[in-house]
Amino acid sequence: MKQETELGQQAGQNIMMTARNVSVFYGGKMAVNDVSIDISKDDVTAFIGPSGCGKSTFLRSFNRMNDTIPNARVEGRIELDGEDIYASGMDVVQLRARVGMVFQKPNPFPKSIYENVAYGPRIHGLAAGKTALDEIVQRSLRRAGLWEEVKDRLTDSGTALSGGQQQRLCIARAIAVDPEVILMDEPASALDPIATAKIEELIHELRGRYAIVIVTHNMQQAARVSQRTAFFHLGNLVEYGDTSQIFTNPRETRTKDYITGRYG
Amino acid sequence: MSDAVATRAPTDWKTGAMQQRIRRRYSAERRFRLLGLGAVMLSAGFLVFLLVTMLGNGIKGFTQTEVRLDIDFEKSALFIDPAALRGPSADAALAAADLEGTVRTAASSQYGAAGAGLLSESAWLRVREAVKEDPALLSRRATLWLPAASPIDIAAKGEGAPEAERIHAQLEGRNAVRTGFNWNFLTGSDATDPAAVGIWGAFKGSLLTMLVTLALAFPVGVLSAVYLEEYAPRNGWTDTIEVSINNLAAVPSIIFGLLGLAIFLNVMHLPRSAPLVGGLTLALMTMPVIVIAGRNAIKSVPPSIRDAALGVGASKIQVVFHHVLPLALPGILTGTIIGMARALGETAPLLMIGMRAFIASPPGGVTDPATALPVQIFLWSDEVSRGFVEKTSAAIIVLLVFLLAMNGLAIYLRNKFERRW
Ligand SMILES: Nc1ncnc2c1ncn2[C@@H]1O[C@H](COP(=O)(O)OP(=O)(O)OP(=O)(O)O)[C@@H](O)[C@H]1O
Ligand SMILES: [Mg+2]
Repeated sequence: MKQETELGQQAGQNIMMTARNVSVFYGGKMAVNDVSIDISKDDVTAFIGPSGCGKSTFLRSFNRMNDTIPNARVEGRIELDGEDIYASGMDVVQLRARVGMVFQKPNPFPKSIYENVAYGPRIHGLAAGKTALDEIVQRSLRRAGLWEEVKDRLTDSGTALSGGQQQRLCIARAIAVDPEVILMDEPASALDPIATAKIEELIHELRGRYAIVIVTHNMQQAARVSQRTAFFHLGNLVEYGDTSQIFTNPRETRTKDYITGRYG
Repeated sequence: MSDAVATRAPTDWKTGAMQQRIRRRYSAERRFRLLGLGAVMLSAGFLVFLLVTMLGNGIKGFTQTEVRLDIDFEKSALFIDPAALRGPSADAALAAADLEGTVRTAASSQYGAAGAGLLSESAWLRVREAVKEDPALLSRRATLWLPAASPIDIAAKGEGAPEAERIHAQLEGRNAVRTGFNWNFLTGSDATDPAAVGIWGAFKGSLLTMLVTLALAFPVGVLSAVYLEEYAPRNGWTDTIEVSINNLAAVPSIIFGLLGLAIFLNVMHLPRSAPLVGGLTLALMTMPVIVIAGRNAIKSVPPSIRDAALGVGASKIQVVFHHVLPLALPGILTGTIIGMARALGETAPLLMIGMRAFIASPPGGVTDPATALPVQIFLWSDEVSRGFVEKTSAAIIVLLVFLLAMNGLAIYLRNKFERRW
């Protein structure tokens, strides 16, 4: 409970999503234990912690991707703009359009580059006509920093791109539906340093336009791209605060040990 | 531990024992490759043997020996009013005329007392066709080529009895016999006379049956597979259904025939011997195969694709129709090919629902009495007359060609959809 009051004070002005006392279970096994957190609209929020501590599980509960896992159960309350996303009246399809996701492993559709980006706007009816759709595709690819590389080969397969390009394509696909929040689960873990740098640059540019939550194992990355950092351990939220404070002056010894590489 | 690693001598790959190990590994590879090659050769050998014997026998079924017959219609005792031959009364006028007698008389006068025996029993039907086509024949002498009787036909193909061979040689001397492609075999239907039989009736019967089977088994099979994989809750009921479907795929086909008989004929009173009932029965048999293949294909679509689609806010049905099914389609089509090929070759269930009747005209639609290719083959192979032997083989060739065409189409479609970017 101490955490919660702290979190309330630390949260920024523009709160986009809030989680209150969220626990996630796989069958009888608890993966996330009573976590409360606020996600600010203007910041990039990083989730860090040792492998298996529940970062992905917690992240996936923000757009109800856990619904697709048969034995997963979420308790507690998560709000998007003050609206309970687990309420029975919530339209999951619309929720996922508002809270987009980029996965750890690049997973473009086995379709053309154009189709990959156009798919979301098309199923949600966001573009009236071909030119409008073309425009969305181009804008999204530009924002994802991929336009220059693919503008002459939009009809090529999305899976024929390099790993880093595929991941940027997935980001373009996510922002093409104009979400309010983008969840990224280790978006650069499969990429080389140059591709990683591009993704980080991209996150910088997207900041402010979208609320961004990023899971990462890379401490430097968390320090570089995020303004807020949450440290998880064994399903618990250990510490949550400004990135600069977490990295220079952590309150908890567990956080300090992890950041300095003593375990994890 | 680091000590142990440090003191351990580096592996010497050159020792005798090592060399022997390597040699053994190479010979194991070679042995295995030879075994595999042998297996492939063996099955290829069987296939070639089958094709060669089938083609060797069957190709003769596609040719027909014909004997020349001059008929002087004017002098014959035949009377048909030429005016009656124009218009709808033609069939009645021809039926009343004794064409059969005319042909017999002409044959005897031309080739002696046994002359009529040179021609097939149905030769006069050919005359009737000719007259119907060109009534002017009736007022003059005409030369017609008529199907030869079975013994002559066989002799012409070099396998006849000595007596028939002798007659054939005589005819050849008089330039009164020829062998040509048997168009009638491709366009006709079943008959009692082997010289007059055709495969078209059975072919069309099979075609209609397959269409009914496909129209029912494919959508139902695919929808079941999608439901079971994507929507059904994992519980006892689903497991029971899954086990039942797997068992259904292994049930002997004759039992499906009995089921068809009991349900479609006895309870629903659908027409007997009809492609509709045959197709429904075979669909019951094909469906489980498609469901099983479909589920496996759907299961093998990577979950990351589903996640990606759900992640941009696709609904469940959009995920299925936009992403899962297109990727699973090649696998589903493979299963469909296997199921349909099995259905096409199936005889037993069709016998049960009465598709074994003697049907002398091709079916006009799915509710007309019909027979199917495998049943026709079965029926002909049962005939005593020697002329049916080569017709049976010829029919088998037609069945195989049908099968190949069907598979070819499916493989074409599969490759078309398999374009995975
Ligand atoms: N589908 C699942 N079924 C059962 N248990 C699961 C499932 N997914 C994850 N878990 C368990 O939940 C716990 C948290 O997993 P999660 O994937 O959230 O960890 P993570 O913090 O993302 O780890 P990593 O950094 O390695 O990705 C782990 O103990 C894991 O074994
Ligand atoms: Mg993870």
